[in-house]
Amino acid sequence: MATRSQTAALLVVGALALAACSAGGVKSSAAPQSGAKTLVIDTSFDLKTADPGRTYEPTGLFVGKAVYETLLTFDGADVTKPVPALAESYTLSDDGKVLTLKLKQGATFADGSPVTADDVVFTLTRVRDMKGTPSFLLDGVEVAKTDASTITLTSKAPNPALPYILPNPALGVLNSKVAKEHGATTDAGDKAEQYLNSASAGSGPYTIESFNLTSQVVLKANPKYYGSKPAYDRVVIRNVEAATQKLNIQRGDSQVALNLSGDQVVGMPATLQVKKTASANVIFLLANQDSSVSKTTANAKFVEALRKGVDYSGLLELAGEGSTQAPGIIPSQLLGALPADQAAKRDVEGAKAALAASGVSNPTVKLEYPSELTVNGLSFQPLAERVQANLKEVGITVDLAPAPVTTALDNYRNGKEELGLWYWGPDFPDPSDYLAFLPGKLVGLRAGWKEGAAKDISAAGDKAATAIGDDARKAAYAEVQQKLNKGGPFIPLIQPSQNIVTASSVAGLEYHPVWTVDLADLSAK
Amino acid sequence: MTVSGDVSGADTPGPPPAAAQRGGRARVRRHPLARFLLRRVLIAILLAWGITLVTFVLTNLVPGDPAAANLGQRALGDPAIVAQWRQEHGLDKPLPQQYLIHLGGLLHGDLGTSQQSHRPVSQDLAETVPATLELAGAAIVVSLVLGVAFGVVAALRRDRLTDHALRVLSLIGISVPTFWLALVAFYVFFYRLQITPGSGRIDPGLTAPPPVTGLATVDSALAGQWDVFASAVGHLLTPALVLALYTIGLLTRFTRSAVLEVLGQDYVRAARAKGLPGRVILFRYVLRSALVPIITVAGLAFGSLLSGTVLVEAIFAWPGVGQYAYKSATTLDLPAVMGVGLVVGGVYLVINLIVDVLYGVIDPRVRLQ
Amino acid sequence: MTRRLPEAWRQPLAIVGGVVALAWLVIALAAPWLAPHDPLAQDLPRLAAPGPGHWFGTDQLGRDILSRVLYGARVSIPLTLMLVALSVLVGGLLGACAGYFGRWVDETIMRVADLVFAFPTVILAMVVAAALGASLTNAVLAVLVVAWPAYARVTRGLVLGVREREFVLSGRLLGFSVWRSLRVDVLPNVTGPVLVLATLDIGTALLLLSGLSFLGLGAKPPSPEWGAMVAGGVEVFDSWWVATFPGLAILTVVLAFNFLGDTLRDALDPRTARAIKERAL
Repeated sequence: MATRSQTAALLVVGALALAACSAGGVKSSAAPQSGAKTLVIDTSFDLKTADPGRTYEPTGLFVGKAVYETLLTFDGADVTKPVPALAESYTLSDDGKVLTLKLKQGATFADGSPVTADDVVFTLTRVRDMKGTPSFLLDGVEVAKTDASTITLTSKAPNPALPYILPNPALGVLNSKVAKEHGATTDAGDKAEQYLNSASAGSGPYTIESFNLTSQVVLKANPKYYGSKPAYDRVVIRNVEAATQKLNIQRGDSQVALNLSGDQVVGMPATLQVKKTASANVIFLLANQDSSVSKTTANAKFVEALRKGVDYSGLLELAGEGSTQAPGIIPSQLLGALPADQAAKRDVEGAKAALAASGVSNPTVKLEYPSELTVNGLSFQPLAERVQANLKEVGITVDLAPAPVTTALDNYRNGKEELGLWYWGPDFPDPSDYLAFLPGKLVGLRAGWKEGAAKDISAAGDKAATAIGDDARKAAYAEVQQKLNKGGPFIPLIQPSQNIVTASSVAGLEYHPVWTVDLADLSAK
Repeated sequence: MTVSGDVSGADTPGPPPAAAQRGGRARVRRHPLARFLLRRVLIAILLAWGITLVTFVLTNLVPGDPAAANLGQRALGDPAIVAQWRQEHGLDKPLPQQYLIHLGGLLHGDLGTSQQSHRPVSQDLAETVPATLELAGAAIVVSLVLGVAFGVVAALRRDRLTDHALRVLSLIGISVPTFWLALVAFYVFFYRLQITPGSGRIDPGLTAPPPVTGLATVDSALAGQWDVFASAVGHLLTPALVLALYTIGLLTRFTRSAVLEVLGQDYVRAARAKGLPGRVILFRYVLRSALVPIITVAGLAFGSLLSGTVLVEAIFAWPGVGQYAYKSATTLDLPAVMGVGLVVGGVYLVINLIVDVLYGVIDPRVRLQ
Repeated sequence: MTRRLPEAWRQPLAIVGGVVALAWLVIALAAPWLAPHDPLAQDLPRLAAPGPGHWFGTDQLGRDILSRVLYGARVSIPLTLMLVALSVLVGGLLGACAGYFGRWVDETIMRVADLVFAFPTVILAMVVAAALGASLTNAVLAVLVVAWPAYARVTRGLVLGVREREFVLSGRLLGFSVWRSLRVDVLPNVTGPVLVLATLDIGTALLLLSGLSFLGLGAKPPSPEWGAMVAGGVEVFDSWWVATFPGLAILTVVLAFNFLGDTLRDALDPRTARAIKERAL
């Protein structure tokens, strides 16, 4: 007995000693350590992999942009014109089917070996045939090497979007020799992901020092980078909740905060720079057109009541400064976006009239949305609550049905949502991406909108898909959206602002709709 | 945050559940401890199996498709990609077969691969569990020290002002919503007063020490990186204190009544009558007898701390098993949820076992009844 | 003449606890008359600091936080009481069966209880709530799943204690049916301690329920549930009032019931008090 009690007493003494130690260490740690050339970026992680061929999440694209290089890229935030990267030039054939790219000489991977046409062919074929998330980018595109520095990409149908697709970091060129050594293949049996999550086989200005999907990613400058050396030697990208991001940057714990909401950037001290740019993410409502899902939302007059009943300026207020109303489903940065004056306006009386004309009395509809999802730091929760309050004034009762993304997305994908609140970010900055919203297409089906449900809209879509030349395309896509706004099941709401806060020491930051920020653009003051 | 922990713990000297229930059927007096241990281990195995079954059934009951959490909006529209993803993760097989595969893997010590992190679950757990253990461990140490001290003081000052004040304080301790307190502490100390470091385990400018134990404080000390050590301790302090408040309250109440009980015993009275000084009585007799049940309760409280971390970790962005569990549960990442259940359930079982053994060893009546 | 309160109740803690708990019950009943605004109306300036017209400030949608906190009592308090009542009922019944019948019934029920205990509470409740879908009712069910074993254990212990006593045995000998025996002879001896336990548990149950809502697995918006309101405040960190007041509401309710329960336990006769102590862990 005695010995046991002594053991217990010892335990307590030990515990006391430990506590004393931990209490003693506090003061020394308070000063944040910032290496001269280390950049700390806080962001809310949406990260699944560092394998470019499987990347499709914002954080993944952001990291991918720093570690890998693509054939083409965009200059700054301008997404209307692809510019050379690993390819020094490109030409699209007149029929829009063949894209020819000339490789730049002198580009090298992080291990010093040159970037070759074979690497490009291997990479693109791998992305296409591995059936990973970004595979659709190259659906039906044949990749071939015509000589040591020439690549041709051939599509069966005219593919004027291809130059806009190639800058996607998912198409970052891999060092094929290294990747193959670690299990990379050009089919579903590819095993290279694990390796690519720990090391980088790219030619970008940075390489991966450490990679953790849930806590942080550390990049270090690629010592063998053939281009100009990036301003920061080391970049720490931390997974931090938006609220904490704000505190961290105000305290000087971090130098960049990527996901602050409009409310959070109000009243930032003058020592910090706040960049508010309307993002290319369009938040929209969808009203299911399948009458087996809902007789109410399938009613065209009811959709009109929704469109007129939503208080767009109230939603913009929630999203904060820098956000804009989305006039159509195509975001303002892209070719073919509708001008702001064509945006829907709130008209409560009109909405009530439309509701009366619909013949549905006292409707109750269920609005589903992903509860924990945020877009540009903006949570869907208050938006849904605001829409609910707006529609109540019109006489429409909305039941909110938040669900975890897994559940909500599953319902959405299967076209089972009566009303849905979702967003769409451009897969590539070309309006053809938005043909998915047409009847019988990907997003159209999610709204229960079957092929042939609206023939004139489909016809307008077909016309836009084959139009060649900027002016013709612009007009065709504008027409598609006008028709969609009139008779489609989608109600484009807002493009929330991407608010990026940086310390005054960080210069050159530019928001990019595809990869958020290009680390190589940054400079240190 | 355990319902049981609270109800019971607040003022409860007495044998823990298992010890209380353990029937009196064990008549064999030869190697009673071995028999007892064997029985507990068998029950533990049964419980572990129960955990796998429950997690499997629950995660499959949830409406939703794990593929939705892992593929982009575009890819989700492509049945070929979805089918391949499901096949990769073994979700194309019938449910009973899936369960058997998981079970088979477990028998070989393989927890499977997380759908979210694309890594072996064991590897994820090896990173997240130590983070949580460090947090909960620090919290339990703080709770033990403060809780026992407060409890002893309260008992010695019974019914005086100090006692009443401590009673109110400890009741406040068990009444504060942890998630709210974490938020308040973060706002006040980090944001307003700026005296505590930010989220995470160490300052971002520092390089993490080579993992030996997985505890940032211990590893940095082992590596002799004292700046990292200081940073790790600083980061640990606020969340640990927030987490500890509840257990401090619990242990104060518990220690007080345990000490009072011992104070009423004949041998303590005898010692007093003998004229031994108060300090001697306190340390030699009272604390000694009260400590074992206190440590027992602390053990159980440690278990409840582990689940309390879910809420605290979210606010302090602590990369522990709580955040991992939350993310896995919301994305229906079955192997990960099962792994978390097994590990945390395992910790509970081990603690229970230790508690039982402690009781059996200390009080033979319990064992041989 | 007024009846004298029992000695133990005349303690300041019990009085404070009783008054606060009573106040909250009154608020829950009278919220529509007490609240200055419609808790759902989004017609005030957004994120206004506490001041005249909105003493607790407004939230990110321009709703009055004071009104929401008051209405929140209507959401949280009845549900918590119902939850505890259900836990007592389910746990008590199962525990009584386990204690009374013994053998395999006992083994089965108590092993299931062990299984639940072996799970981390919040995580289990989280998974259950996720499985059932986010709603308050489902959150109650989820907490029920983790809460009943505590009562089962206590009741079982108490029943075991009385099962072999003379009056129960003589009842059985007189030909009482099992249920009658349980009801007439066993139940009255078990009720007191279990009720004390239940009072002590109200606080914990509210903490757990609001914790689930905080994680987005409980109350459905725009319901003014306190835990969900605190969660809303996380996003707008700067506007401290958004999270502070609902958090204080939770704290005061839990504290009031803990004050009451603590006093109640002290007031119990030592034998039953000891039974609770011994069996509850």
